[in-house]
Amino acid sequence: MAGEYEQFLIHESRLLDERRFTDWMALFTEDGSYWVPATVGQRTPFGQTSLFYDDMELMRTRIDRLGHPLIHVQTPPSTTVHLVGSVIVEPGVPEPQPDIGLPPSEVLVHSSAITAEFRLDQQRLFVGRQSHWLRRVDGRLRIVRKRVDLVNCEGAFEAIAVPV
Amino acid sequence: MPDGSLNDRGIAALVEPGRVHRRAYTDPVVFELEMQRLFGRAWLYVGHATQVPKPGDFITTDLGRQPVLMTRHHDGSVRVVLNRCTHRGVKLVAERQGNRQRIVCLYHGWTFDPAGTLLRVPVDEGCAPGFKLCDFNLATAPRVGIYRGFVFASLSPRGIAFDDWIGPMKQNIDDIVDRAPGGEIALDAGVHRYLVRANWKMQAENAVDSYHVPFSHASTVNQKGVQFSRREGDNEGAKVVDGQRTAPQWKQRRSYSVGHGHCWTSNTELKESERSSAVYDEYRLTLEAAVGKDRADWILTPRMHNSLLYPNVSFMGLNMHIRVIKPLAVDLTEVNIYPVRLVGAPESMNVRNTRLLNVTHAAASFVQSDDLEAFARAQAGLQSLQTDWVDISRGLGREEPIDPPGAQRQMATDELVVRGQFRAWLDYMTEA
Repeated sequence: MAGEYEQFLIHESRLLDERRFTDWMALFTEDGSYWVPATVGQRTPFGQTSLFYDDMELMRTRIDRLGHPLIHVQTPPSTTVHLVGSVIVEPGVPEPQPDIGLPPSEVLVHSSAITAEFRLDQQRLFVGRQSHWLRRVDGRLRIVRKRVDLVNCEGAFEAIAVPV
Repeated sequence: MPDGSLNDRGIAALVEPGRVHRRAYTDPVVFELEMQRLFGRAWLYVGHATQVPKPGDFITTDLGRQPVLMTRHHDGSVRVVLNRCTHRGVKLVAERQGNRQRIVCLYHGWTFDPAGTLLRVPVDEGCAPGFKLCDFNLATAPRVGIYRGFVFASLSPRGIAFDDWIGPMKQNIDDIVDRAPGGEIALDAGVHRYLVRANWKMQAENAVDSYHVPFSHASTVNQKGVQFSRREGDNEGAKVVDGQRTAPQWKQRRSYSVGHGHCWTSNTELKESERSSAVYDEYRLTLEAAVGKDRADWILTPRMHNSLLYPNVSFMGLNMHIRVIKPLAVDLTEVNIYPVRLVGAPESMNVRNTRLLNVTHAAASFVQSDDLEAFARAQAGLQSLQTDWVDISRGLGREEPIDPPGAQRQMATDELVVRGQFRAWLDYMTEA
């Protein structure tokens, strides 16, 4: 079981590294969301700043923009490599939390991820703990919420263009 | 041509009516002078009183490069004190915010109250003869001014009075604060922090630059030339591009230069009569109940898009936020973006505003990220020694005088506001 989830997370990160953003977006459920908090232990994406908090509508706008020929912050594009590890499955079925926009899911998988990004002669690292709330749609695993808690989430960032 | 030295004449030679020498952006010597002469004496934005609601609350920030604490003293007043122990120079507080009734230096335990008064030093039998606690209070900002909760300080005892400095820009602050049903806002919804590998003036100029939008932000504009919606209740944003050209609607915007480097731009006409959503309508009703329908109509009619209180803070009405510019080095700047929470507005409205700000002004936003790329590339391009001058001449000679005397207006795609900033820059930089 844990093996299946691990394979899923590796597949997800490969889609990002291969810049297959539309395929990456298709991993999310229609009520899915992608959240990168701006503070340590942030309780809610609502009424507070976040680095990313995309529902599917916003994510589509973001991914469309990544395909725009005049997205200057990706001209030239960055290359990334994700390393996902320390995968552990939370026992039990996660409770939905409508107050923080978390719909029903079947399993919660925690992991750690290190992403190296290189662009314009500079390399930087994104290091964080990930939480994936997943549920099956037509027999296939889908992301209900992806949350990434970066170690430096409270720091100042240079422009970030691609999902971490 | 400016020579290598930087006496007042050398500085003055960096700015001409329609152009600026590259050294204003690239020379570390100029930057050091800016820290002394501009950031060392201008009125600077520090924070908002709602960031320190209770006695003992503090935030830490920097004025120029000088570390300061903004505190709430036991008597309820807001204080701006230097975050530097008077004993051996240690920075007293490292956290970004918190609460301390007593500020105790970690090194030798010197203990201060939130106003900076030295209360005790350990091992007092070791004090030199004549040592008096009151000689070692924390340094404080010589001048502090507060308008509608926004706290400003000058690190110089002399200079323009606060009321004279902020006067022409009060309307820009009111424009945002009046949108709160009780006329009060709070900066308690977090912060977006980003780093730019560019000179701080790039961000100051860009805050009021309407010329760049169709090009820098092309990736945010749809095939109809319309930007995505940036306000709650709008179906779409402003018309920016028409065919291959800047849209006529966009060219209707005006910019205003009102002295002291202050400037602002007017808003693009959006479809005000069609602005509606469950969240927005509820908010509008709340505001109408508080201030009356006529006043609410007036408050909600956009007049101001973005403003700069020179040199370090911008108030943005479209995506409601306060933007603080922190110069770190000649080619490195931190920018902090604080969402404005309208106290007394329905929570849903504030939630929507914060979400829209994630999209426009987070480090990972759709709008600001392309600006950061432009700033960094300008800094890189200015390394060229073959061309000394940066052109800021658009609209030169076509300025339209307005009230108060000395203030001017022109098409927002012109560069009046950049020239206005550099006039103030010269005043600070060459004033003995």
